[in-house]
Amino acid sequence: MIEYRNVSKNYGERQIVKNLNFTIEDGQFAVLIGPSGCGKTTTLKMLNRLIQSDGGEILLDGKNVNEINAEQLRQHIGYVIQQIGLFPNMTVEQNITVVPRLLKWDKARCAERVRELLALVDMDYDTYAKKYPNELSGGQQQRIGVLRALAAEPPVILMDEPFGALDPITRDSLQDEVKSLQKRLKKTIIFVTHDMNEAIKMADVILFMSDGELLQQASPEEMLRAPANDIVREFMGKHVAQGVSGQDNIPCGEIMRKNVAKVSSSWRTLECVQMMSSREIDSLVVVDENDRYLGVVTIEGIKAHGKPGMEVTKLLETTVPTVYTDTLAKEAFGTLDSTRARYLIVLDKNERPVGIITRTSMSKALAYMVWGGDAV
Amino acid sequence: MTHFFETYGLMLGKAILVHLAYVLTSVAAATVVALVLGVLLSRVPAIARWMMPVISISQTIPGIVFIGILYLYLGMEPITAFTALAIYAVFPILKNTYAGLLGVEEKYKEAARGCGMSPRQILFKIELPLAMPTIFAGIRMSTVYTVSWAVLTAMIGLGGLGEFVYRGVSTNNSTLTITGAIPAAIMAIALGALVDWIQKKITPRGLQEVKS
Repeated sequence: MIEYRNVSKNYGERQIVKNLNFTIEDGQFAVLIGPSGCGKTTTLKMLNRLIQSDGGEILLDGKNVNEINAEQLRQHIGYVIQQIGLFPNMTVEQNITVVPRLLKWDKARCAERVRELLALVDMDYDTYAKKYPNELSGGQQQRIGVLRALAAEPPVILMDEPFGALDPITRDSLQDEVKSLQKRLKKTIIFVTHDMNEAIKMADVILFMSDGELLQQASPEEMLRAPANDIVREFMGKHVAQGVSGQDNIPCGEIMRKNVAKVSSSWRTLECVQMMSSREIDSLVVVDENDRYLGVVTIEGIKAHGKPGMEVTKLLETTVPTVYTDTLAKEAFGTLDSTRARYLIVLDKNERPVGIITRTSMSKALAYMVWGGDAV
Repeated sequence: MTHFFETYGLMLGKAILVHLAYVLTSVAAATVVALVLGVLLSRVPAIARWMMPVISISQTIPGIVFIGILYLYLGMEPITAFTALAIYAVFPILKNTYAGLLGVEEKYKEAARGCGMSPRQILFKIELPLAMPTIFAGIRMSTVYTVSWAVLTAMIGLGGLGEFVYRGVSTNNSTLTITGAIPAAIMAIALGALVDWIQKKITPRGLQEVKS
């Protein structure tokens, strides 16, 4: 557990961090966010004492960090910086084992640890261990940067805008990797960023700072729903606004999945089972000779009541809710929610089924509406 | 030509060895001194800020003047030549060591601190290795310069290839002058290549394209 109690930091007259109080639980992914110059990086670096706090106390598992030898403290807290900072005179393997070697691990244990860690990020030991940083791409370098922080199995890892220098695609995949590593390895991570998308994606808890003060500590969900004040609201501007006004008029036609598995009403049970198994689905949409919607047939229905050779019209279920392509996604969401259906059938003006909306496609669409980007 | 080598052959061989000895000992000593001084200066930027210009200026004192002054104090001993050459050889290495250490990017030092390295570990594991290419450039420069400066030692009668050069100049014997000059030039090139070779041997692959 990490506790900041009345922590402050001054540079001359300027108070960079003002009486900061917060607690981060073990295993939490905490994101420090705020406009540049808000003191978030200072706050982070006071924990591993790269910056010395001026007042208050910072407790790591109940111990005041200022009473721990700075070098030992840092050997037990992982640290990832924006500029990556892999040592160019060392190979990937040497870079990863910097801290283990400082801790005097023996060679065999170091070597084994490198293999373990490279496997975590799907990098082949034989291909990469002996390479130098300048032989790797930016994304690979920062993966190694993250592994270096993980190497000595510290319970806490600090990340100072670790993906800021990466291209968007690499950043996106590294975010996913780090988030899943954090969950799997149950690390406490404090992560500094000024990118709200990143914060929302990664955080269990967001700490919003402005001008050296903590304005709000909340889950991403709660911060989006109830920003503490105008500064927070403004900073999250586009993320909040879109949900409320910008894009809530998306029609179902835009969020549905288009490849509907349709069968004609003249089909028989065995043909249907065959089609379901080849497409790995559990229900089919049944249409009449004019391609108009009649209902669905499910594998459960066939199992319970069907006999080989029976026409599917006899097994038709018509309880699945239907919407039209121009129905608002918002309404469709309501339908989906209130009927507890697994999906909706989307029909065009002529009652022809043209798509379905599943719970997954709905949540993707929602994410898109709330957070923007290319979620669909 | 045969006659020339019969007369001067032995003397030339000896001169080359003396010359080489001056260069190697003085550059070796200078490297040690310069590394220590360079590291110390890089730790105290406040002092370095006025020390480095002073050092740069003193480097412009002509070698002849300096050797002359030392001669007055130390007499006509090899130590005079060695001391003078070593002091001159310190400058380029010191400057480059200092510049090299200062040129180590902050991100590497911060990463090293963040990993829990002590200042000493940061110096030996990160800063010096990263400054190595620059330091070697200084050693190379010193070596090449020292070969030519060592010619001056003959001026105070301490031998080396300078003897041929001075004798040739004073007796208007260009053959003699060239006999001193050409081995000196070859020695400069060869030693420069030797330093490059050592540098290539000890620089990890990861640093090789960075600087020459």
